[in-house]
Amino acid sequence: MSHTGSMSITDSIYLLMFGSGLLGGFGHCAGMCGPVVAAYTLGIGLPAGHMRTYPLPQVMYNAGRITTYSIMGGIMGMTGSFAGIAASIERFQNLTMATVGLVMVILGLASTDWCSLPKGSAGRKITAPVSAFVSRIIRFISATHTTGSVYVIGMVTGFIPCGLLYSAYIAAAGAGATAGSAAEGFLRGMSMLFLFGLGTAPALLLIGHITARKSEWIRKRLYTVSSLFMIAIGAIFIYRAFSG
Amino acid sequence: MRARHVSVLLLFVLLSSARAAICPAAECDVSRGACIALTGSTTVTLDISPKPVSAMKELFFTVTVKGAKIPAPLLLVLSMPGMYMGRNEVVLKQVSDGSFTGRGIIPRCPTGKKLWQADIALPGGGNVSYRFHVDH
Repeated sequence: MSHTGSMSITDSIYLLMFGSGLLGGFGHCAGMCGPVVAAYTLGIGLPAGHMRTYPLPQVMYNAGRITTYSIMGGIMGMTGSFAGIAASIERFQNLTMATVGLVMVILGLASTDWCSLPKGSAGRKITAPVSAFVSRIIRFISATHTTGSVYVIGMVTGFIPCGLLYSAYIAAAGAGATAGSAAEGFLRGMSMLFLFGLGTAPALLLIGHITARKSEWIRKRLYTVSSLFMIAIGAIFIYRAFSG
Repeated sequence: MRARHVSVLLLFVLLSSARAAICPAAECDVSRGACIALTGSTTVTLDISPKPVSAMKELFFTVTVKGAKIPAPLLLVLSMPGMYMGRNEVVLKQVSDGSFTGRGIIPRCPTGKKLWQADIALPGGGNVSYRFHVDH
């Protein structure tokens, strides 16, 4: 393999990876993952008071994401192969994307009250199991609303397929292919993706911070719109997961 | 007020001319055959195999330069028009006089976008760009 990074393995590659993450954070992630962060920060679908307005969960969410990137980068670097690894985790990535999308749709629907039908109606009998399922998911998310769980959520969402991330993995695989040993390849790939992930964090932290600061205002004025937006983004995630 | 209108008109003309100067490369069906671009009197041909050209698969890039002596290596930069996709470069090593090859991968964009751009900066002057679609 003689990909991108493989021919120019110098210390500057690490700086370039950080720069690529930083640029990509504002030029790519803000548009692609920003709505997820905003929806998550607002706590759409969760009872009032479950807004994630404090900074630690935002940091933990990003830390979880960067952990996944670093481990995957290490594996790409260790094997020196992107295409093989990417193909083997493609189904898992799509499943993750579909699951995240489904949770977003469910939480969005729950917050719009569209599922509530008059008691005893035929529609109620049909939607009752769905409502019970939705309630269970909301209870689960509310109950697991700890800093640790946010880190895990970040780790899981780190598997969502992303073209920008793929480019970083390709560079890591290229760097690993020229490494002297598998361990060196792992370290190279892991360091590269760690710095790349770190570079993407400011943009998402900024979105989280702005959303958190304006959360009361958004909840009061744009809550239904935000919920609809969340449903739409969730639906797009599900579509993308199965259309790839 | 009139000066303001003139300024706006001038700005519009300037922006229009700037847009014309950075006219995007014409699209080429690289899955059917090689793409050809010209810079000055130099002809630069890009071919990608295997065909059809697919994302997430290892690809072989072949660049042939005619009309100029180009020192190796060449750098081919892959990007997606309208969407920042990170640093993705393919180093092309010289295999014979005027012929360069390298391996690389075009990532899949989960949004479904398939249009990609390859840019090659020729040492000593001249840039060529190719736009093509990849299969998902």
